[in-house]
Amino acid sequence: MLQILRKNKIPYLFILPFFLLFFMFQLIPTVWTFYISLTNWKGISAPEFCGFENYKKLFIDNMFWAALENTVVYWISGLIIIMFLAVAIASLLNYGHLKGSTIFKTVTFLPNICAAIAMGLIFRMLFDENAGLINEVLKAMGIGKVPWLTSTTFSKIPVIILNVWRNTPWFTMIIFSGLLNIPRDYYEAATVDGANMWKQFCCITLPSLGNILFFCSITLTVDSWKLFNESYILPGPGTSNTSLFQYMYESGFNIFNMGYASAIGVILILILAGISVVQLIARRKQEKI
Amino acid sequence: MRKKMIAALLTGTMVLSTLAGCGGSNAPKEEKAQETKKAEAGTEAASKEAVYPSGTITIYGTGQPQYLQEYFDAWLERHKDIAPDVKISIVQTEGHAKSREKITMTALSGAVDDLPDATYLDPVNIMELSQGGLLKDETEFLQPYLKDLVDGAANDATVNGHTYGLPESVRPNVLFYNKEIFDKYGIDPAMMSTFDGYMEAGKLLKEKSNGTVYLSYISPGSKTWRYWGRRGLMPQANAKIWDESGNVVIGQDEGTKLALGTLDTMYQQGLLLKSEIMEPALYDAINNGQVATFYIGAFWDEFLRKNCQATSGKWRVMASPEFESVGKAGAPVSSYFCIVNKGDNVYAGLLEQLWHDFQFDSESRNTWVKSMEKQNAPYANPISLKLLQDDFWKAPSDYYGGQSFREMEGKCLENGAANLIITPQDAEADEIISAELETYVAGNQTMEQAIANMDKNLKAKIGQAKIMK
Amino acid sequence: MVYRRKQTTVSFLIHTVLIIISFLCIMPILWMCLISLKPSSETLSGIHSIWVSDPTFENYRRLFETIPVLQNAFNSIFTTIMGTVTSLFFCSLAGFAFAKYKFPGRDFLFYFVIATMLVPPETGAVPLFVIMKKLNLINSLWSLVIPRIATAVGIFYMHQYICDVPDELVEAAKIDGCKDFMIFIKIILPVIKPALASWAAVTLIARWNDFFWPVLYLRKQVKYTLMVTISLLPVSEGLSTPWPVILSGTTLVIIPIVVLYLLLQTLQKAGAMAGAVKG
Repeated sequence: MLQILRKNKIPYLFILPFFLLFFMFQLIPTVWTFYISLTNWKGISAPEFCGFENYKKLFIDNMFWAALENTVVYWISGLIIIMFLAVAIASLLNYGHLKGSTIFKTVTFLPNICAAIAMGLIFRMLFDENAGLINEVLKAMGIGKVPWLTSTTFSKIPVIILNVWRNTPWFTMIIFSGLLNIPRDYYEAATVDGANMWKQFCCITLPSLGNILFFCSITLTVDSWKLFNESYILPGPGTSNTSLFQYMYESGFNIFNMGYASAIGVILILILAGISVVQLIARRKQEKI
Repeated sequence: MRKKMIAALLTGTMVLSTLAGCGGSNAPKEEKAQETKKAEAGTEAASKEAVYPSGTITIYGTGQPQYLQEYFDAWLERHKDIAPDVKISIVQTEGHAKSREKITMTALSGAVDDLPDATYLDPVNIMELSQGGLLKDETEFLQPYLKDLVDGAANDATVNGHTYGLPESVRPNVLFYNKEIFDKYGIDPAMMSTFDGYMEAGKLLKEKSNGTVYLSYISPGSKTWRYWGRRGLMPQANAKIWDESGNVVIGQDEGTKLALGTLDTMYQQGLLLKSEIMEPALYDAINNGQVATFYIGAFWDEFLRKNCQATSGKWRVMASPEFESVGKAGAPVSSYFCIVNKGDNVYAGLLEQLWHDFQFDSESRNTWVKSMEKQNAPYANPISLKLLQDDFWKAPSDYYGGQSFREMEGKCLENGAANLIITPQDAEADEIISAELETYVAGNQTMEQAIANMDKNLKAKIGQAKIMK
Repeated sequence: MVYRRKQTTVSFLIHTVLIIISFLCIMPILWMCLISLKPSSETLSGIHSIWVSDPTFENYRRLFETIPVLQNAFNSIFTTIMGTVTSLFFCSLAGFAFAKYKFPGRDFLFYFVIATMLVPPETGAVPLFVIMKKLNLINSLWSLVIPRIATAVGIFYMHQYICDVPDELVEAAKIDGCKDFMIFIKIILPVIKPALASWAAVTLIARWNDFFWPVLYLRKQVKYTLMVTISLLPVSEGLSTPWPVILSGTTLVIIPIVVLYLLLQTLQKAGAMAGAVKG
């Protein structure tokens, strides 16, 4: 064993920082979270063991279920809308005869550069029910005011829009670089064979992007479940648009129900692990075909 | 070969430890510097009486720090003999709850040196922090001054007979009304002395203005519970969230039905403009004469003066409407200056002295208030009886068309309702109750459903509150 | 002829759609800049908010009075640059090890690194805070740098890129007697410059915009990063900061990074690697 270590000291040394940090700042906290979730620690005094009481409380807490439901909505809507838009915009940017492609690429990437919190404040003003620009435009079009952030039905929409607005550019860039790797000859050959643009898209573009799309869906999933900034800065009435992670943060660091918050953390971990496993299996099956 | 290996391992560990060391040493380095400074000054201080060691005092406060800073800096200038090298720095937080969160987090993280030396707090958050032993007990210090302060100034900071904060301000819940609007539609403001009359006035306003003028506002967020509920209607209706043993009774309580029912009636009849308070949309509406009254704490004066100059001269203040069956006026909202328990509390004496002068030294207080007025900045009425006698606090105000806001604020403290009992579970309870109220304002449930849900959720998440006598 | 016309219609459509999308992307940002130039007395409601009749820098002046902008900006710059530099160095180092070295357990460890991406550290926020306290890093800017010196995504990204570096280069250097670390510095780093540039860009942006961790770890205003201070502006209870001042704050926090991004774009023109991986 020591022989192996000695022989390969250099590569092991090079990858050591990551594993050290992972151990200290990811593994230990995750395991510790499991432990704290079984206590009713309030932060200041010593933790008292209380078994699965926190989980029982979570089960009947309708604020928790609301937050969970909201996060699922954010996840699914984000996944569908962002993937669709990213592929669409990347394809547009990949158009052979595009004039000013650098400008378009730069401008469409701008939303990702802007901090979610800062843009959230602006969106808050834009979506204001009485004075916001968006409602003004809607009024001019004859649709009338929409209570964006003041009603439980609509309050998730600004959050979704902010999320999509900010994150689409990033995925667009990734998919765009993937598109660049597809040789033009494929398309030329297909055109000669008489396939129209749509067919080319389905049969050439999408399959070639397979790995990248999979990577995007995993990343999007993890990011959606830890959504915080967007729902934090665009609060709606009650828990109508609180994300699960935000609820965990508020329980832990506003009210200091550490045990309770950790229980939510554990549930988050389990959900994420579960979804990732499902996606991995689905991908394996797809690859076999 | 061996040497090379050892060298490589050493370099690796050195790099890693310097990085970790840098991280750790940054914080302790600063603290060590302060500690040595304090130790040196401490030995000096031991030789001279009551001279405070050099350093910076940190105070958590809400609002704009530079205004209070003015007073503190001037005070430090005058007291260079006992505090030759002391500075005061005010840290702005988003609210009293946030100050409490920060302090708890810091205590949690064991970084006692990072605790502020003092903080401004409201009763709910005093309750929370005193539970953790984080606030200095001021019962003894305050005792001799109580008779010189307005009635009940220290009540809301007293837990189990111990007072954990020095009273800073006691501001009543009052009724602001735009006299011009009332004159225009020929409605007599005096009818608003009761809540029935208040609602009647609202109806008349709506009819006569064809729906363009609202009686008041309602917030789609947490402010409705905070200002209309906990600080306004609930105490005046003698409502209860918990009973004497700490059980949840809000669902069956008659006072709650009266308080929230009144709000419900006003909202259902379209008398309240749904617009978040302290935001531009509402200020625009006020400036356009669309909102006629505000049933809120006296602190609202500062916001009106700053953002609604267009309505200067039109506002007046009167006592809150009363519920005829209860007969009590608006509850006072007290805020406190609390000294944080951190180790040896080096600056406690200095801060107590500072507080004393701020409350009782009329000259320095008046100078500061005059400066605040010029800058359109916030300032509260003094709470010491002697200072209140001064004619300065009866001076008329242009913004209120010649009425003396300061005098009215003092008068409105009379016959004030008692505040809701505070329990350590209140911070969490407020969140739960507000969530239901927000859903109600959004139109997704009736008030009856909201109250029932509040009751249900409080029982599920909190169970029983600890009543501190 | 028909083909030509079809091409022009398609081209026209594509350009129009892209223009609309670009407009949607840039509109909120421009609007924010406009409002930050408005004096507080002007109305912000509805359509009137677009028209600035009296542009002024007064809001920025008030901003500098209200919060310690320079101090917080320094904190932001420090964490951003330190974070980027350390991330670039350590991620490429580990990526190099995984790409160019054969050692036992290499594949397993690599997949392990990828697997760690699935569970974000945010879920362990509660114990992480306690760990930071024990390490005396609360209120220290290093708390924002150290845990992310080497991230799984960064290692993955660098690994992909370094795999493409021809093995012959490394072999030749070894024959010349170069030590491993020297190979990394002298051969690999110069070759992967485009990847470093894009990774730097992405990390810079992510660290500058970081909000959750600074809010958790930093407890004193003097230690806040700019993002945290700005976000505190509107939420204060006793505060009546007018919206134009708040938006001048957000402009201040967004514009530097936009400028930096545009600069890096010109540097990056060489690399075909337009895609970047998140930090």
